[in-house]
Amino acid sequence: MITIDQQQKLLLNVARRLTKKITVYAIGGTAMMFLGFKDATLDIDLVFENEKDRAIFKEAVKSLGYLEMDAIKIYGTKRNTPEMFKLNDERFDLFVVEVIDFIFSENMRKRAEQIHQFEKNLILKIANPHDLILMKCATDRIKDKDDARKIINSTKIEWDIIIEEAKNQTTLGKERAVFDLTGFLEDLRKIGVNIPSEIMGRLFELIEKQVKEKKKNL
Amino acid sequence: MKKRELLQKLAGIQTIESVMDILKVDKRMAIYYLYVLRKDGYVKTRRQSNNRRVYNISLDNKLGGKSYYDIINRYSPIKISTPVIHKIYGKEPSLEETLIYAIKTKSLRTILASLALFKKINNWVELYHLSKENHIERQVGALYDLARSIIKVRKMTTKFRSSALSKEKYKFEYVIPELKSRDFTKIERVWKIHLPFNKKDLEEYR
Repeated sequence: MITIDQQQKLLLNVARRLTKKITVYAIGGTAMMFLGFKDATLDIDLVFENEKDRAIFKEAVKSLGYLEMDAIKIYGTKRNTPEMFKLNDERFDLFVVEVIDFIFSENMRKRAEQIHQFEKNLILKIANPHDLILMKCATDRIKDKDDARKIINSTKIEWDIIIEEAKNQTTLGKERAVFDLTGFLEDLRKIGVNIPSEIMGRLFELIEKQVKEKKKNL
Repeated sequence: MKKRELLQKLAGIQTIESVMDILKVDKRMAIYYLYVLRKDGYVKTRRQSNNRRVYNISLDNKLGGKSYYDIINRYSPIKISTPVIHKIYGKEPSLEETLIYAIKTKSLRTILASLALFKKINNWVELYHLSKENHIERQVGALYDLARSIIKVRKMTTKFRSSALSKEKYKFEYVIPELKSRDFTKIERVWKIHLPFNKKDLEEYR
Protein backbone atom coordinates (compact mmCIF):
# COMPACT_ATOMS: atom_id res chain seq x y z
CA MET A 1 0.00 0.00 0.00
CA ILE A 2 1.15 3.52 -0.73
CA THR A 3 0.07 6.51 1.38
CA ILE A 4 -0.51 10.10 0.29
CA ASP A 5 2.92 11.23 1.48
CA GLN A 6 4.71 8.31 -0.18
CA GLN A 7 2.76 8.86 -3.38
CA GLN A 8 3.74 12.54 -3.48
CA LYS A 9 7.40 11.71 -2.96
CA LEU A 10 7.22 9.07 -5.66
CA LEU A 11 5.54 11.39 -8.16
CA LEU A 12 8.12 14.08 -7.39
CA ASN A 13 10.88 11.58 -8.10
CA VAL A 14 9.25 10.61 -11.38
CA ALA A 15 8.74 14.28 -12.30
CA ARG A 16 12.45 15.00 -11.78
CA ARG A 17 13.29 12.29 -14.30
CA LEU A 18 10.87 13.38 -17.01
CA THR A 19 12.49 14.83 -20.08
CA LYS A 20 9.43 16.75 -21.22
CA LYS A 21 6.34 18.37 -19.71
CA ILE A 22 3.47 15.87 -19.76
CA THR A 23 -0.14 15.86 -18.62
CA VAL A 24 -1.64 12.72 -17.12
CA TYR A 25 -5.02 11.94 -15.62
CA ALA A 26 -5.28 10.14 -12.30
CA ILE A 27 -8.06 7.60 -12.04
CA GLY A 28 -8.64 4.96 -9.40
CA GLY A 29 -7.01 4.97 -5.98
CA THR A 30 -4.64 7.85 -6.73
CA ALA A 31 -7.50 10.14 -7.66
CA MET A 32 -9.47 8.93 -4.64
CA MET A 33 -6.61 9.90 -2.35
CA PHE A 34 -6.38 13.39 -3.81
CA LEU A 35 -10.14 13.76 -3.42
CA GLY A 36 -10.04 12.57 0.18
CA PHE A 37 -11.93 9.30 -0.29
CA LYS A 38 -9.02 7.08 0.66
CA ASP A 39 -5.83 7.14 2.73
CA ALA A 40 -3.80 4.57 0.81
CA THR A 41 -3.86 2.68 -2.47
CA LEU A 42 -2.31 -0.41 -3.98
CA ASP A 43 -1.64 0.98 -7.41
CA ILE A 44 -1.25 4.29 -9.21
CA ASP A 45 -3.63 4.30 -12.19
CA LEU A 46 -2.81 6.92 -14.80
CA VAL A 47 -4.28 7.73 -18.20
CA PHE A 48 -2.09 9.39 -20.84
CA GLU A 49 -3.24 11.45 -23.80
CA ASN A 50 -0.88 9.70 -26.21
CA GLU A 51 1.63 6.89 -26.50
CA LYS A 52 4.57 9.32 -26.65
CA ASP A 53 3.84 10.74 -23.20
CA ARG A 54 3.48 7.26 -21.76
CA ALA A 55 6.85 6.28 -23.23
CA ILE A 56 8.51 9.29 -21.55
CA PHE A 57 6.84 8.41 -18.24
CA LYS A 58 7.82 4.75 -18.60
CA GLU A 59 11.48 5.70 -19.00
CA ALA A 60 11.33 7.79 -15.81
CA VAL A 61 9.67 4.97 -13.88
CA LYS A 62 12.17 2.40 -15.15
CA SER A 63 15.05 4.62 -14.10
CA LEU A 64 13.65 4.45 -10.55
CA GLY A 65 14.02 0.67 -10.62
CA TYR A 66 10.44 -0.34 -11.47
CA LEU A 67 10.10 -3.53 -13.44
CA GLU A 68 7.54 -4.28 -16.11
CA MET A 69 4.94 -6.89 -15.21
CA ASP A 70 2.30 -8.84 -17.07
CA ALA A 71 -1.15 -7.21 -17.06
CA ILE A 72 -2.86 -10.60 -17.43
CA LYS A 73 -2.20 -11.34 -13.75
CA ILE A 74 -4.46 -8.49 -12.69
CA TYR A 75 -6.73 -7.75 -15.65
CA GLY A 76 -7.04 -11.19 -17.21
CA THR A 77 -7.71 -11.19 -20.93
CA LYS A 78 -9.56 -7.87 -21.00
CA ARG A 79 -8.87 -5.47 -23.85
CA ASN A 80 -6.94 -2.19 -23.53
CA THR A 81 -5.09 -3.29 -20.44
CA PRO A 82 -2.41 -0.97 -19.06
CA GLU A 83 1.34 -1.31 -19.13
CA MET A 84 2.28 -2.18 -15.57
CA PHE A 85 5.41 -1.46 -13.55
CA LYS A 86 6.11 -2.75 -10.08
CA LEU A 87 8.61 -2.13 -7.29
CA ASN A 88 8.01 -3.82 -3.93
CA ASP A 89 4.39 -3.06 -3.01
CA GLU A 90 3.94 -0.14 -5.36
CA ARG A 91 2.55 -0.48 -8.85
CA PHE A 92 1.91 1.84 -11.78
CA ASP A 93 -0.91 0.99 -14.21
CA LEU A 94 -0.39 3.15 -17.29
CA PHE A 95 -3.25 3.48 -19.80
CA VAL A 96 -3.39 5.48 -23.01
CA VAL A 97 -6.85 7.05 -23.62
CA GLU A 98 -8.69 3.72 -23.42
CA VAL A 99 -9.30 2.07 -20.08
CA ILE A 100 -10.47 -1.49 -20.79
CA ASP A 101 -13.92 -1.01 -22.36
CA PHE A 102 -14.16 2.72 -21.75
CA ILE A 103 -12.57 5.76 -23.38
CA PHE A 104 -11.22 8.56 -21.22
CA SER A 105 -13.27 11.01 -23.25
CA GLU A 106 -12.94 14.72 -23.96
CA ASN A 107 -15.79 15.42 -21.51
CA MET A 108 -13.98 13.47 -18.81
CA ARG A 109 -10.84 15.50 -19.43
CA LYS A 110 -12.82 18.73 -19.11
CA ARG A 111 -14.36 17.55 -15.85
CA ALA A 112 -10.92 16.81 -14.39
CA GLU A 113 -10.59 20.25 -12.84
CA GLN A 114 -8.26 19.58 -9.95
CA ILE A 115 -4.62 20.01 -10.98
CA HIS A 116 -1.53 18.89 -9.06
CA GLN A 117 1.77 19.88 -10.62
CA PHE A 118 4.94 18.07 -9.62
CA GLU A 119 8.08 20.11 -10.23
CA LYS A 120 7.97 21.53 -13.73
CA ASN A 121 7.23 18.55 -15.91
CA LEU A 122 4.44 16.46 -14.42
CA ILE A 123 0.91 17.85 -14.54
CA LEU A 124 -1.49 15.48 -12.82
CA LYS A 125 -5.20 16.11 -13.36
CA ILE A 126 -7.61 14.35 -11.06
CA ALA A 127 -10.61 12.68 -12.65
CA ASN A 128 -14.03 13.80 -11.47
CA PRO A 129 -15.67 11.45 -8.90
CA HIS A 130 -18.45 10.61 -11.41
CA ASP A 131 -15.89 9.51 -13.95
CA LEU A 132 -14.04 7.55 -11.29
CA ILE A 133 -17.16 5.42 -10.87
CA LEU A 134 -17.22 4.78 -14.62
CA MET A 135 -13.53 3.90 -14.61
CA LYS A 136 -14.07 1.58 -11.64
CA CYS A 137 -16.78 -0.07 -13.71
CA ALA A 138 -14.30 -0.43 -16.58
CA THR A 139 -11.51 -2.05 -14.57
CA ASP A 140 -13.96 -4.02 -12.37
CA ARG A 141 -11.39 -5.74 -10.16
CA ILE A 142 -12.36 -7.09 -6.73
CA LYS A 143 -11.49 -3.88 -4.88
CA ASP A 144 -13.15 -1.61 -7.45
CA LYS A 145 -16.68 -2.20 -6.19
CA ASP A 146 -15.61 -1.29 -2.69
CA ASP A 147 -13.98 1.90 -4.00
CA ALA A 148 -17.10 2.81 -5.99
CA ARG A 149 -19.18 2.28 -2.84
CA LYS A 150 -16.89 4.66 -0.93
CA ILE A 151 -17.30 7.34 -3.60
CA ILE A 152 -21.08 7.01 -3.80
CA ASN A 153 -21.43 7.06 -0.01
CA SER A 154 -19.13 10.06 0.47
CA THR A 155 -20.26 12.50 -2.18
CA LYS A 156 -23.41 13.80 -3.82
CA ILE A 157 -23.72 11.91 -7.09
CA GLU A 158 -25.37 13.56 -10.05
CA TRP A 159 -26.54 10.45 -11.85
CA ASP A 160 -27.29 12.39 -15.03
CA ILE A 161 -23.55 12.97 -15.52
CA ILE A 162 -22.88 9.23 -15.29
CA ILE A 163 -25.73 8.27 -17.61
CA GLU A 164 -24.82 10.95 -20.15
CA GLU A 165 -21.20 9.83 -20.13
CA ALA A 166 -22.25 6.19 -20.60
CA LYS A 167 -24.31 7.31 -23.61
CA ASN A 168 -21.34 9.31 -24.85
CA GLN A 169 -19.18 6.19 -24.61
CA THR A 170 -21.67 4.39 -26.85
CA THR A 171 -21.41 7.12 -29.46
CA LEU A 172 -17.62 6.86 -29.22
CA GLY A 173 -17.94 3.21 -30.24
CA LYS A 174 -17.88 1.56 -26.83
CA GLU A 175 -21.16 -0.29 -27.20
CA ARG A 176 -20.79 -2.24 -23.98
CA ALA A 177 -20.52 0.89 -21.80
CA VAL A 178 -24.18 1.17 -20.76
CA PHE A 179 -24.48 -2.58 -20.34
CA ASP A 180 -21.33 -2.80 -18.20
CA LEU A 181 -22.37 0.19 -16.11
CA THR A 182 -25.82 -1.29 -15.46
CA GLY A 183 -24.30 -4.59 -14.38
CA PHE A 184 -21.79 -2.82 -12.15
CA LEU A 185 -24.47 -0.71 -10.47
CA GLU A 186 -26.69 -3.77 -10.04
CA ASP A 187 -23.82 -5.50 -8.21
CA LEU A 188 -23.35 -2.41 -6.03
CA ARG A 189 -27.05 -2.44 -5.15
CA LYS A 190 -26.72 -6.05 -4.07
CA ILE A 191 -24.08 -5.07 -1.53
CA GLY A 192 -26.28 -2.33 -0.13
CA VAL A 193 -25.21 0.77 -2.03
CA ASN A 194 -28.04 3.23 -2.48
CA ILE A 195 -28.60 3.60 -6.22
CA PRO A 196 -32.02 5.06 -7.09
CA SER A 197 -34.39 2.64 -8.88
CA GLU A 198 -35.21 5.42 -11.35
CA ILE A 199 -31.57 5.46 -12.45
CA MET A 200 -31.53 1.69 -12.95
CA GLY A 201 -34.79 2.02 -14.91
CA ARG A 202 -33.27 4.62 -17.21
CA LEU A 203 -30.22 2.45 -17.79
CA PHE A 204 -32.37 -0.61 -18.62
CA GLU A 205 -34.35 1.52 -21.07
CA LEU A 206 -31.11 2.54 -22.75
CA ILE A 207 -30.04 -1.09 -23.06
CA GLU A 208 -33.41 -2.05 -24.57
CA LYS A 209 -33.13 0.81 -27.05
CA GLN A 210 -29.62 -0.26 -27.97
CA VAL A 211 -30.78 -3.89 -28.47
CA LYS A 212 -33.68 -2.78 -30.69
CA GLU A 213 -31.38 -0.68 -32.84
CA LYS A 214 -28.95 -3.56 -33.09
CA LYS A 215 -31.75 -5.90 -34.25
CA LYS A 216 -32.91 -3.35 -36.80
CA ASN A 217 -29.42 -3.19 -38.28
CA LEU A 218 -29.11 -6.95 -38.58
CA MET B 1 -15.30 7.68 14.64
CA LYS B 2 -13.33 7.08 11.44
CA LYS B 3 -10.78 9.73 10.45
CA ARG B 4 -12.34 10.33 7.04
CA GLU B 5 -15.78 10.81 8.56
CA LEU B 6 -14.29 13.16 11.12
CA LEU B 7 -12.58 15.16 8.39
CA GLN B 8 -15.78 15.41 6.36
CA LYS B 9 -17.75 16.66 9.35
CA LEU B 10 -15.17 19.20 10.48
CA ALA B 11 -13.77 20.44 7.16
CA GLY B 12 -13.55 24.25 7.19
CA ILE B 13 -12.76 26.87 9.83
CA GLN B 14 -13.59 25.75 13.36
CA THR B 15 -13.22 26.78 16.97
CA ILE B 16 -13.27 24.36 19.89
CA GLU B 17 -16.91 25.29 20.54
CA SER B 18 -17.96 24.62 16.94
CA VAL B 19 -16.18 21.24 17.05
CA MET B 20 -18.04 20.38 20.27
CA ASP B 21 -21.27 21.48 18.66
CA ILE B 22 -20.82 19.56 15.39
CA LEU B 23 -19.67 16.32 17.01
CA LYS B 24 -21.94 16.68 20.05
CA VAL B 25 -19.07 15.89 22.41
CA ASP B 26 -17.55 17.53 25.48
CA LYS B 27 -14.44 19.73 25.35
CA ARG B 28 -12.06 16.92 26.29
CA MET B 29 -13.24 14.73 23.38
CA ALA B 30 -13.25 17.68 20.96
CA ILE B 31 -9.58 18.35 21.82
CA TYR B 32 -8.83 14.64 21.29
CA TYR B 33 -10.48 14.59 17.85
CA LEU B 34 -8.54 17.71 16.83
CA TYR B 35 -5.36 15.99 18.03
CA VAL B 36 -6.16 12.94 15.87
CA LEU B 37 -6.61 15.10 12.75
CA ARG B 38 -3.60 17.29 13.54
CA LYS B 39 -1.37 14.22 13.88
CA ASP B 40 -2.18 13.36 10.27
CA GLY B 41 -1.56 16.90 9.06
CA TYR B 42 -5.16 17.97 8.42
CA VAL B 43 -5.20 20.86 10.92
CA LYS B 44 -3.57 24.28 10.80
CA THR B 45 -4.01 26.45 13.88
CA ARG B 46 -3.82 30.19 14.21
CA ARG B 47 -4.69 32.55 17.01
CA GLN B 48 -7.07 35.46 16.91
CA SER B 49 -6.22 38.83 18.47
CA ASN B 50 -7.97 37.72 21.67
CA ASN B 51 -5.68 34.65 21.78
CA ARG B 52 -8.47 32.23 20.87
CA ARG B 53 -7.45 29.33 18.66
CA VAL B 54 -9.02 28.95 15.22
CA TYR B 55 -8.58 25.65 13.39
CA ASN B 56 -8.38 25.38 9.63
CA ILE B 57 -9.25 21.76 8.89
CA SER B 58 -8.82 20.53 5.35
CA LEU B 59 -7.43 17.76 3.18
CA ASP B 60 -5.39 20.47 1.44
CA ASN B 61 -3.34 20.94 4.60
CA LYS B 62 -2.22 17.33 4.37
CA LEU B 63 -1.55 17.45 0.64
CA GLY B 64 0.69 20.48 1.14
CA GLY B 65 2.05 22.11 -1.99
CA LYS B 66 1.66 25.72 -3.02
CA SER B 67 -1.05 27.22 -5.14
CA TYR B 68 -0.80 30.29 -7.36
CA TYR B 69 -3.66 31.79 -5.37
CA ASP B 70 -1.62 31.47 -2.13
CA ILE B 71 1.05 33.62 -3.76
CA ILE B 72 -1.39 36.21 -5.10
CA ASN B 73 -3.03 36.43 -1.67
CA ARG B 74 0.35 36.87 -0.01
CA TYR B 75 1.24 39.95 -2.05
CA SER B 76 -2.08 41.50 -3.04
CA PRO B 77 -4.43 43.66 -0.98
CA ILE B 78 -7.24 42.00 -2.96
CA LYS B 79 -7.73 38.48 -1.67
CA ILE B 80 -9.04 35.63 -3.80
CA SER B 81 -11.11 32.73 -2.60
CA THR B 82 -11.63 30.09 -5.24
CA PRO B 83 -12.76 26.50 -5.59
CA VAL B 84 -10.10 26.00 -8.27
CA ILE B 85 -7.37 23.64 -7.13
CA HIS B 86 -3.99 23.93 -8.79
CA LYS B 87 -1.26 22.81 -6.40
CA ILE B 88 2.44 22.78 -7.11
CA TYR B 89 4.85 20.42 -5.36
CA GLY B 90 8.63 20.31 -5.27
CA LYS B 91 9.16 23.92 -6.25
CA GLU B 92 8.02 27.37 -5.27
CA PRO B 93 6.27 28.99 -8.24
CA SER B 94 7.89 32.29 -9.14
CA LEU B 95 6.01 35.59 -9.14
CA GLU B 96 6.48 35.73 -12.90
CA GLU B 97 4.82 32.33 -13.36
CA THR B 98 2.04 33.39 -11.03
CA LEU B 99 1.32 36.53 -13.04
CA ILE B 100 1.16 34.56 -16.28
CA TYR B 101 -1.16 32.01 -14.65
CA ALA B 102 -3.41 34.82 -13.40
CA ILE B 103 -3.68 36.39 -16.86
CA LYS B 104 -4.43 33.01 -18.42
CA THR B 105 -7.36 32.43 -16.03
CA LYS B 106 -9.14 35.34 -17.78
CA SER B 107 -10.84 35.98 -14.45
CA LEU B 108 -11.41 39.66 -13.76
CA ARG B 109 -10.77 39.49 -10.01
CA THR B 110 -7.74 37.22 -10.30
CA ILE B 111 -6.12 39.55 -12.84
CA LEU B 112 -7.03 42.56 -10.73
CA ALA B 113 -5.44 41.02 -7.63
CA SER B 114 -2.35 39.94 -9.57
CA LEU B 115 -1.51 43.54 -10.56
CA ALA B 116 0.09 43.82 -7.11
CA LEU B 117 2.73 41.31 -8.22
CA PHE B 118 4.35 44.01 -10.37
CA LYS B 119 5.56 45.56 -7.10
CA LYS B 120 7.86 42.57 -6.62
CA ILE B 121 8.56 41.25 -10.10
CA ASN B 122 12.17 41.81 -11.10
CA ASN B 123 13.06 38.91 -13.37
CA TRP B 124 11.99 40.50 -16.63
CA VAL B 125 13.85 37.94 -18.70
CA GLU B 126 11.79 35.11 -17.21
CA LEU B 127 8.60 37.12 -17.51
CA TYR B 128 9.27 37.86 -21.17
CA HIS B 129 10.13 34.24 -21.87
CA LEU B 130 6.95 32.99 -20.19
CA SER B 131 4.69 35.58 -21.76
CA LYS B 132 6.11 34.89 -25.22
CA GLU B 133 5.55 31.18 -24.68
CA ASN B 134 1.91 31.93 -23.90
CA HIS B 135 1.55 34.67 -26.55
CA ILE B 136 0.56 37.32 -24.02
CA GLU B 137 3.55 39.71 -24.08
CA ARG B 138 1.40 42.71 -24.98
CA GLN B 139 -1.19 41.84 -22.31
CA VAL B 140 1.60 41.77 -19.71
CA GLY B 141 2.96 45.09 -20.96
CA ALA B 142 -0.45 46.77 -20.90
CA LEU B 143 -1.23 45.46 -17.42
CA TYR B 144 2.17 46.68 -16.24
CA ASP B 145 1.43 50.21 -17.48
CA LEU B 146 -1.95 50.02 -15.81
CA ALA B 147 -0.41 48.85 -12.52
CA ARG B 148 2.17 51.64 -12.77
CA SER B 149 -0.63 54.20 -12.88
CA ILE B 150 -2.03 53.09 -9.51
CA ILE B 151 0.79 51.53 -7.46
CA LYS B 152 4.54 51.79 -7.12
CA VAL B 153 6.10 49.09 -9.29
CA ARG B 154 9.58 47.92 -10.26
CA LYS B 155 10.87 49.36 -13.49
CA MET B 156 10.29 47.29 -16.61
CA THR B 157 13.46 46.80 -18.62
CA THR B 158 13.64 48.61 -21.94
CA LYS B 159 14.43 45.29 -23.60
CA PHE B 160 11.10 43.83 -22.42
CA ARG B 161 9.21 46.93 -23.48
CA SER B 162 10.76 47.21 -26.92
CA SER B 163 10.43 43.48 -27.62
CA ALA B 164 6.83 43.24 -26.46
CA LEU B 165 5.53 46.57 -27.69
CA SER B 166 2.90 46.55 -30.38
CA LYS B 167 4.05 46.52 -33.98
CA GLU B 168 2.11 48.10 -36.85
CA LYS B 169 0.81 44.77 -38.14
CA TYR B 170 -0.71 43.74 -34.82
CA LYS B 171 -4.46 43.78 -34.29
CA PHE B 172 -6.23 44.73 -31.07
CA GLU B 173 -6.56 41.86 -28.62
CA TYR B 174 -8.33 41.39 -25.30
CA VAL B 175 -7.12 40.45 -21.82
CA ILE B 176 -10.65 39.19 -21.12
CA PRO B 177 -12.80 38.66 -24.21
CA GLU B 178 -15.30 41.45 -24.93
CA LEU B 179 -14.15 43.68 -22.05
CA LYS B 180 -12.81 47.14 -22.95
CA SER B 181 -11.75 50.05 -20.81
CA ARG B 182 -13.29 53.52 -20.92
CA ASP B 183 -10.62 55.14 -18.77
CA PHE B 184 -7.32 53.65 -19.95
CA THR B 185 -7.66 54.03 -23.71
CA LYS B 186 -4.19 55.58 -23.96
CA ILE B 187 -2.52 52.43 -22.60
CA GLU B 188 -4.81 50.34 -24.81
CA ARG B 189 -3.65 52.19 -27.92
CA VAL B 190 0.05 51.85 -27.03
CA TRP B 191 -0.14 48.07 -26.58
CA LYS B 192 -3.12 47.40 -28.87
CA ILE B 193 -4.70 45.54 -26.00
CA HIS B 194 -8.15 46.11 -24.53
CA LEU B 195 -7.90 46.35 -20.75
CA PRO B 196 -10.79 44.95 -18.70
CA PHE B 197 -10.69 47.63 -16.00
CA ASN B 198 -11.94 51.15 -15.45
CA LYS B 199 -10.72 53.55 -12.75
CA LYS B 200 -13.50 52.52 -10.40
CA ASP B 201 -12.40 48.86 -10.54
CA LEU B 202 -9.02 49.83 -9.15
CA GLU B 203 -10.33 51.62 -6.06
CA GLU B 204 -9.27 48.77 -3.79
CA TYR B 205 -5.64 49.67 -4.59
CA ARG B 206 -5.99 53.27 -3.40
